[in-house]
Amino acid sequence: MQINETLIDDTFAEAFPMKATRLIITAHTPVWAQHAAQSLTGFATSVIGCGCEAGIERVLTADETPDGRPGIAVLMFAVSTKELAKQVERRVGQCVLTCPTTAVFSGIDPATSRAPLSDNAPLGSGLRFFGDGWQISKMIGDTRYWRVPVMDGEFVCEESTVTVKAVGGGNLLFLARDTDSALHVAETAVAAMRRLPNVIMPFPGGVVRSGSKVGSKYAAAPASTNDAFCPTLTGLSRKSELDADVGCVLEIVIDGLTDADVGAAMTAGIAAAVELGRAAGVLRISAGNYGGKLGPYHFHLHQLAADVAGRRA
Amino acid sequence: MTTITLRVRNAPGFRINADRLLPAALAALSADEIGYLVLPASNESCAVGDVFDVSRSDDETDPALVIEGDVHWLDRLGAKMTQGCIDVHGSAGDYTGFRMAGGMLRIDGDAGHFTGCQMKGGRLTLGGNAGDFTAGALPGDMEGMTGGTLTVHGNAGARLADRMRRGLVLVGGDAGECAASRLVAGTIGIAGKTGANLGYGMRRGTVLLAQAPERIPPTFTDGGRGFDVFWRLLTRSLATELAPFSGFRADTLPRRYAGDLAVDGRGEVLIVES
Repeated sequence: MQINETLIDDTFAEAFPMKATRLIITAHTPVWAQHAAQSLTGFATSVIGCGCEAGIERVLTADETPDGRPGIAVLMFAVSTKELAKQVERRVGQCVLTCPTTAVFSGIDPATSRAPLSDNAPLGSGLRFFGDGWQISKMIGDTRYWRVPVMDGEFVCEESTVTVKAVGGGNLLFLARDTDSALHVAETAVAAMRRLPNVIMPFPGGVVRSGSKVGSKYAAAPASTNDAFCPTLTGLSRKSELDADVGCVLEIVIDGLTDADVGAAMTAGIAAAVELGRAAGVLRISAGNYGGKLGPYHFHLHQLAADVAGRRA
Repeated sequence: MTTITLRVRNAPGFRINADRLLPAALAALSADEIGYLVLPASNESCAVGDVFDVSRSDDETDPALVIEGDVHWLDRLGAKMTQGCIDVHGSAGDYTGFRMAGGMLRIDGDAGHFTGCQMKGGRLTLGGNAGDFTAGALPGDMEGMTGGTLTVHGNAGARLADRMRRGLVLVGGDAGECAASRLVAGTIGIAGKTGANLGYGMRRGTVLLAQAPERIPPTFTDGGRGFDVFWRLLTRSLATELAPFSGFRADTLPRRYAGDLAVDGRGEVLIVES
């Protein structure tokens, strides 16, 4: 399939079940909410080495937050509810509790969530002990909050956060003529995806260059470089999928609350990329998978791109 | 579902226990069957049809019970109710909403002592006054109200919310002596005056006052500042409740006193003066 002279491979991205939660961080000013959110989502690119994948979903206005202050919505994904709970407690404890003027709330409404609900993860129920006995529990409506005295007043947080069964590992590979065109298409696609709700792109700037394959020649390494897409190995690796025109490949990994959210984000990324087209150096769009045997979610590029082609026709 | 209407025909000279007059249970009965329903009355008993004219209509709403007339002799109305709606166009007796766990109970007039006593959930609204021990505990019991919302547009009697543990109580008028006594937790708002011994033995919880009391109890101390976020959450949650609580501004912090230091001391009295 070709759109705007960009070739779209007949392949699919393979994604996996994950557990996810949304946290709403508010603060006295947008700047401090941003500081807390960036700190909380730092070093959270991959579950392999970071324990969770996390990112800023979007900026919230004061009208959209529980306490009427400016805020940020972040999404966190982990392989299990237990690991997610561990990461939530650790990261909120170190990055939000510590950040001036912030408060933190559960951001998924069980009544409207399209993602299947999972167990709640502790939020304030563990952090409250920082209050050394001065903390106060407060029920407002049906929600329990903890008020923990800190040096700028009170740190307020919800007792627990709702978690859902989510989807992680959707991806797109952009095969471009050179570094400039690869960066340009990746940045453009990430910008298009960030306009959508319920998804994050957890890698730096939303983009990853070190795409990986399962396994390695070294027994200790569970994953290693994806030599099929490394431009320096076109003449060396038997698995190389690159031709001589491709000078740079970049990948976007997408985690979403539902497979529909991930599919929508991938479609938006494809649309943004083919809009640039071959003239901008976007030669091919591909995706990473493991033969379809590991992950239950398969996002076929031709199916996703059919909508894009239909809109352009 | 069904709306049952009970119109007072003869006010009895004794008190009647209305435990069995729950909308969901009555919805399964015909008007005649409801009329023959026997209610305990002091050491006697009495049929619903002896004191009420009964009618029923089927519609699309939740099960509802409407009582037309003054029934201050009818105790335990809405007791242990879990669903449906009761409207009383008049006053009700003692123990109204006793251990109520869900649904809606609206009284246009007054209700007696122990109104909302040990209430667990739902919403109870009084257009008039409430008696003593409203939202409180039975004598000897450890917990008063543990959930739901109780709104009194008039005045409340003594010992308002005694041993209350959770939920929201709002009083549009005055409260009698020992309001919030032995409060375990929860939120109480009082728009008018408060009697002596406010917050006596209060361990935790929030008492919200729209008028400063004549004196702050000596076992309360200055509660400091810095509770802006909590105040924002609280004022937002009160935005749809009765005045003056609905008009409290999120950006104007009340004065805060902490106590009762004779016990746990983690309770707070917030005074919002316009």
